[in-house]
Amino acid sequence: MLWLLAKESRELLASRAFWLLLLMIGPLVGHGFITAVDSYAEASGIGGGPAALAQGLSPLDGVLVPAFGAYDLAVTLLFPFVAIRLVSAEKASGAWKLMLQAPVGMPAMLLAKGLALLGAWLLAWTPGLLALILWKAYGGWIYWPELLNLLLGHLLRVLLSCGVAVAAAAMANGAASAAIATLGFTVGTWALEFVAAGRGGLLATLASYTPTAALRVFEQGQLSLATVVVTAALSLAGFALAAVWLPTRRGLPSRLAWSLAAFLVFTPILWGAAHLRAAWDLSENRRNSFPAADEAALRQIRRPLRVIVFLAPEDPRLMDLDRNLLGKLARILPRVDIENASHSRAGLFEKAGDHYGEVWYQLDGRRAMSRSTTEPIVLETLYRLAGVEPPPRAAGGEYPGHPLAVRPKGAAPLFYALWPLAVALAAWVHLKDRNRS
Amino acid sequence: MLLAARGISKHFGRNAVLQDASVTARDHEVLGLIGPNGSGKTTLFECLAGLIPTDSGEVEVRGRAVAPARRKQFLFYLPDGIRPWADQSVAWTMRFFAALYARSPDEVAALARALQLEPLLRARIGSLSKGEAKRALLALGLLTPHPLLLLDEPFDGLDFRQTREVMTLLRTVPAAGRTLFLSIHQLTDAARVCDRLVLLSKGRVAGEGTLAELRTRAGLNEGGLEEVFLALT
Repeated sequence: MLWLLAKESRELLASRAFWLLLLMIGPLVGHGFITAVDSYAEASGIGGGPAALAQGLSPLDGVLVPAFGAYDLAVTLLFPFVAIRLVSAEKASGAWKLMLQAPVGMPAMLLAKGLALLGAWLLAWTPGLLALILWKAYGGWIYWPELLNLLLGHLLRVLLSCGVAVAAAAMANGAASAAIATLGFTVGTWALEFVAAGRGGLLATLASYTPTAALRVFEQGQLSLATVVVTAALSLAGFALAAVWLPTRRGLPSRLAWSLAAFLVFTPILWGAAHLRAAWDLSENRRNSFPAADEAALRQIRRPLRVIVFLAPEDPRLMDLDRNLLGKLARILPRVDIENASHSRAGLFEKAGDHYGEVWYQLDGRRAMSRSTTEPIVLETLYRLAGVEPPPRAAGGEYPGHPLAVRPKGAAPLFYALWPLAVALAAWVHLKDRNRS
Repeated sequence: MLLAARGISKHFGRNAVLQDASVTARDHEVLGLIGPNGSGKTTLFECLAGLIPTDSGEVEVRGRAVAPARRKQFLFYLPDGIRPWADQSVAWTMRFFAALYARSPDEVAALARALQLEPLLRARIGSLSKGEAKRALLALGLLTPHPLLLLDEPFDGLDFRQTREVMTLLRTVPAAGRTLFLSIHQLTDAARVCDRLVLLSKGRVAGEGTLAELRTRAGLNEGGLEEVFLALT
């Protein structure tokens, strides 16, 4: 296994695609970090400008997510090519015919590829870690649970990308076809998100596990067991498909039959995983939770809550309702069924229905309607409906906020000059012997 | 009998590449698979190695049917015209194969010496000439421990002197307990190195045996492999 891992690592290091990824990731992360720190400084009142409320200044939203956002871009548009090469190059050169006869199983070979890719990605995290060190050096605040959660999200994101790319490389005849298939998958998930926005039902459930949507959960400071298990299972499904398609001894009917078998195995796993309810709010400002007193009161409601929403998918109130209330309720209550009853647009040329804007809450046969998407008002409605005594309102916010009015000193030379130079030098040293011979 | 393949057929679309091909390989022999380009030699090797699915036929090793997925336990097939791990050095690639098949560094060094690879050990596989790459590939094949080694065109790309040296090296392999099955399209090379021959033409096996046996079967009193091949196909 160690020799397999060594082979894959050497192949990665011999790949110009990997060095290009390393070269580009520094400036990408740097741009995100520098822009974010600058904006954060301005929001914190640097240079005598008006400062935002301190409670609104969270390093997770302000700096960490934008800085690491470059990795989402890289894992979508750059990393798949690195992963595809690791499979396609062996297929194209004939090495795969030798490996298929080697005294190691397909799982070991794919595991070695996966581990090498993961190692490569961790190396690509260096600029991100440099950004964190700089942020700390500026006096910035890091709340470790939300940072580690964000890193877990990016790790799962890259695992999914590996699964898709390796499966595409295994199924396609060449690297170019595999790249097109991988990008097609990505564009497809974007389209799914667009189509499913605010619709509810199966489409919305599917859309909530697209790579971007899954990462968003972690970026919001939430650790959702369903998102973790679904993403990990999807990644595993990609590798399972690769294991079906890589052995050349199988004919097309056999490969299709095994692919169907893999589909039948993974579908119930994914379905079950999507229904896992365990989720933890790891954000420092508890943005995914109600106040502790409200959560304690809501936990007294043990019956299923049905919510019927008469809001169009494009209506910003629906997004507010989703983010500020329904998501939080789903974490606390034993069961929340949401029905989006209005699929019509409230556009210029369309008349809205009579019930448009209403949100109905049904609990134990009783119904109540509210047009509000404001947390205290909706909670009042729910307490009244459930016959639960509302908790006393706590005065003041619990989250202090972490303003920081500093400019990103030294970041530009580090990310735009030193990093590319260091990578270029390392690539030159590593590749020069090979090119000479 | 080390290996017996019976009734191997393979189509690519409408093109019948192998039709009911049967071959046998004995212990400690050099068996040649002889046929012109396009006769189905590579396809037969890939079918025997279990690398591609066959339409029909079965393969037995020492009298027992062996499924395609398990054939790598008994035989190793070295394809022609491949450049595996083009960015890696010859030395590393040999060490990698030695590690896969539990071969000692001494065995690696001896093979590198025998195949005159020592000056090329630091070179990338992708930078080698055709003949150099062929010798590096042969080294990989010879590092495997399987009782049966299938070599596709082992002399292709080698010059006259190298061909003779590789032939001498390959002739020592059966003595070490292995069987070689060589696909060769150059009839003169085949006649010099092989103990027995399988003649393949248009996907069909036209004959199998020693040169003398094939000559008898062709009804010839004299003549070389070329005359025998022409008479039988």
